[in-house]
Amino acid sequence: MTMLRVRDITVRFGGIVALDGVSLDLNRGEILGLIGPNGAGKTTLFNCISGVIAPDKGTIFFEGHSLVYAPPHVRARFGIARTFQNLQLWGSMTVAENLIVPMDALGRRNTFSDALHLPFSSYAERASMERARAILHVLDLDRYAGTLAGDLPAGIQRRVEIARALAMRPRLLLLDEPAAGLDAQETARLAELLHAVRERFHVSMLLVDHDMSLVMRVCDYVYVLDFGKLLARGQPAAIRGDPKVVAAYLGEESKQPAEEIASVAAARLEEAPLLEVKHLAAGYGGLEVVRDIDLAVRPGEVVACIGANGAGKTTTLRAISGMIHPRRGRVMFGGRDVTGTSAERIAQLGLIHIPEGRGLFPNLSVEDTLRLVSNTAGHDVNITPAFELFPKLRQRRRQLVGTLSGGEQQMVALGRAILSQPRLVMIDEMSQGLAPTVVRQLFDIIRVFREQGIAVLLVEQFVESALDVADRAYVFEHGSIGLSGPAAELRADRKLVAGSYLGTAVDATAVAAANGDGNGHHVDPALMEIVSVRVPAKVKRALEQRAEVEGRPTGAVAIELLEKVDHQ
Amino acid sequence: MTSRVIFRVLVALVAFAVLARIPVGFDVGFKFDAGLAVIWAFGLLSLVLLTGYVGQISLCQATFAGVGAYAAGMMSATFHVDYIVAVAVGVAAAFALGVLVGLPALRLHGITLAIVTLGIALVFDRYVFQDHAFEWLTGGTGGWRVGQASMFGLQMDSSQHLMGAYVVLLALFCVVALLMVNLHESGAGRRFRAIRDSELAAATMGVDLTRYKLLAFGMSAAIAGMGGAFYPLVAGSVSPQPFWLFTSLQFAAIAVLMGVRYVPAAALGGAFMAFVPDVLTRYGHGTLFGRQYEISYDWFQIAVGVLLIVQLITLPDGVWGDLRHRVLHARSAVGGLDGRKVKVA
Repeated sequence: MTMLRVRDITVRFGGIVALDGVSLDLNRGEILGLIGPNGAGKTTLFNCISGVIAPDKGTIFFEGHSLVYAPPHVRARFGIARTFQNLQLWGSMTVAENLIVPMDALGRRNTFSDALHLPFSSYAERASMERARAILHVLDLDRYAGTLAGDLPAGIQRRVEIARALAMRPRLLLLDEPAAGLDAQETARLAELLHAVRERFHVSMLLVDHDMSLVMRVCDYVYVLDFGKLLARGQPAAIRGDPKVVAAYLGEESKQPAEEIASVAAARLEEAPLLEVKHLAAGYGGLEVVRDIDLAVRPGEVVACIGANGAGKTTTLRAISGMIHPRRGRVMFGGRDVTGTSAERIAQLGLIHIPEGRGLFPNLSVEDTLRLVSNTAGHDVNITPAFELFPKLRQRRRQLVGTLSGGEQQMVALGRAILSQPRLVMIDEMSQGLAPTVVRQLFDIIRVFREQGIAVLLVEQFVESALDVADRAYVFEHGSIGLSGPAAELRADRKLVAGSYLGTAVDATAVAAANGDGNGHHVDPALMEIVSVRVPAKVKRALEQRAEVEGRPTGAVAIELLEKVDHQ
Repeated sequence: MTSRVIFRVLVALVAFAVLARIPVGFDVGFKFDAGLAVIWAFGLLSLVLLTGYVGQISLCQATFAGVGAYAAGMMSATFHVDYIVAVAVGVAAAFALGVLVGLPALRLHGITLAIVTLGIALVFDRYVFQDHAFEWLTGGTGGWRVGQASMFGLQMDSSQHLMGAYVVLLALFCVVALLMVNLHESGAGRRFRAIRDSELAAATMGVDLTRYKLLAFGMSAAIAGMGGAFYPLVAGSVSPQPFWLFTSLQFAAIAVLMGVRYVPAAALGGAFMAFVPDVLTRYGHGTLFGRQYEISYDWFQIAVGVLLIVQLITLPDGVWGDLRHRVLHARSAVGGLDGRKVKVA
């Protein structure tokens, strides 16, 4: 029954022990969750299993094969497929081609017969194409088959990654933070999708994610790592109740009194705005992403931008900071018109933009990164304030930024921002991919910013936390601002926010349709037949016989039987 | 799928028919340039595969061509074999060297790989092509003289039968170019492009990086070597000068200039490399406003540099690439290409 057997894995990076004698068992047909706070070693263990790094000690067995010395492509042939947290699709190929590559790579095919388009190659090509279409159909990606993968929004790319992994006919699917960047509703749909995928493709899964709602909903069994060691394991419900896990991973819940924020917000309303955006429109290429954006940030105010993925929050920030040119409208900062001014000029005026992914230099040490601020300031800058804010960075001052955990990198970015003595800091998706305890710590820093009189404009996926810390908020909806007001009000009236946040009526019907058959869409029996028939020959014959007797396609019979099994 | 292949074959045939006729009326100097153009086009085509498809950097493509040239020259001058056998040996030698050069590429990327290949070009330029220890390969300081050479039993040495060599060379180029276009959309081509877009994803999705990177380097070197192997036939002799380091750098510059991801750009670049300097030196002197002027070969190099800068600013996908995008864009705007996928090939 054990499919993947990991024993006493130890990995060291320099002096740091990333994994310390971790063991793990994954049974056939199981969806196994791997969770833990940032820097716990989840990704390291994941990389050991998929062959990106080699462990210093320990063994990994997959269906009787030792994996320790197997290069990644050999593991792929054993039946291990993976997705990537930082999307690694082949951007210049179409979605269908992305699926065909792993299918072909497993077959024995010859470069020269390919170049000559010999019948043998053309036949294999057609078979691959057909199967690719079927997989895309199951994941409701049909309409993107001919689109270049690089042109798709991140949410869809994430699904294409799963489709590509399935194209390899894997027996074990490794999912690295599949819910990163998805909102609550998309996460719920992902959970359904993963269950459907397990049923249809008969794969086991190992899932690493921060999103507890996904892990709890999807996983059969959960392992918890902390500081490179196994902290606990068990059923999701038991794990959620385990005080050790709660302490390490979730931290303790805290709610700030709402009245305090409300009074702060009221006090600031009179002041002249520091940043004022009027009728802003911006986009990329032929696409206009945002239009008619009006927003203002007053000195020392914390303002949150929330809204579904692709609503235009990031584009708005980029247009404000001069990373892209606004198409229409005006951006005023500190009483000056900065529309279309270069990004470095705007930064010198005291508007710091921390982009998604933090915009750090991975090969610089922490200290050098912080000292870089001196270059833009034109004089030597004392970097101790950053260390006072983040004492952890003082210990890591010589370490390369690229080797830090995500939370620590965000600390470096925030520390760098505060050293340049900004008047306004814009932070894009500060909490992406970070554990809740780290997120809470970072939100506390934003409160420190406010106390020091620095205004903050946040783009945030964790609506609750953002509204906790913010004075006011703008809710983005399909490229414009749908709703705005004091954060306390928005937080009090959850329904109001949920209405614009979770999508309009159009989306609601789409979701209703999606929930119709656990699969996301209408099922085409002919295409289903290709993917769902990973059954023994005897069963397949029986299916075919029955289909012939009843005069229906085999796929329709298969679907009916599968549904019966689902209902039981 | 098949109709597209037939279309490509037709295009290749037409291109061959037209290009084979063009140099007929030329004088000997330009006939030589025509042959040289196809040889350089092979070198550029090798970069289309290696850089355009697989995303690897190499600054020693002229070295591969040189190895092909010397091996073919040696086979023809010492063993007096049919020249097509000499070409085959030249291609095989270049392929072997390509696989060897590919070994460091398994670990290196980007600028480090560029420096290593640059070093290889330098070593071959100084210590192989111009060294006594390798006289058996290079034929000494004078190089090989290919006076009497025949291919398929037909007389094809340079002085009288230049056109024969040119036509064979051109035919080979058309075939290889056609295979390269086909390769782009085949399984192997997709695996190559997967390596270019994300090596990490390619490896974890079952693409054997070792095999495909070495294959790419070998095939690329073989293509460059095939062009080089014809050099002794076209020029009558072979010397280190055409295959020195600078030619490799020129390959890289002109490949980028013309569009490194496109097969036809290689042909365009080959013609540019062979004809423009010769035209400049031939006609680039006289009197202007009462003053003597003369355009030398240096002017060509300066022009390449300036063009490269202008191109990188205005035509980032190369001359051919951007031309292609514009034509496709215009056609789809008119409505002729409605719904048809715009492919990147």
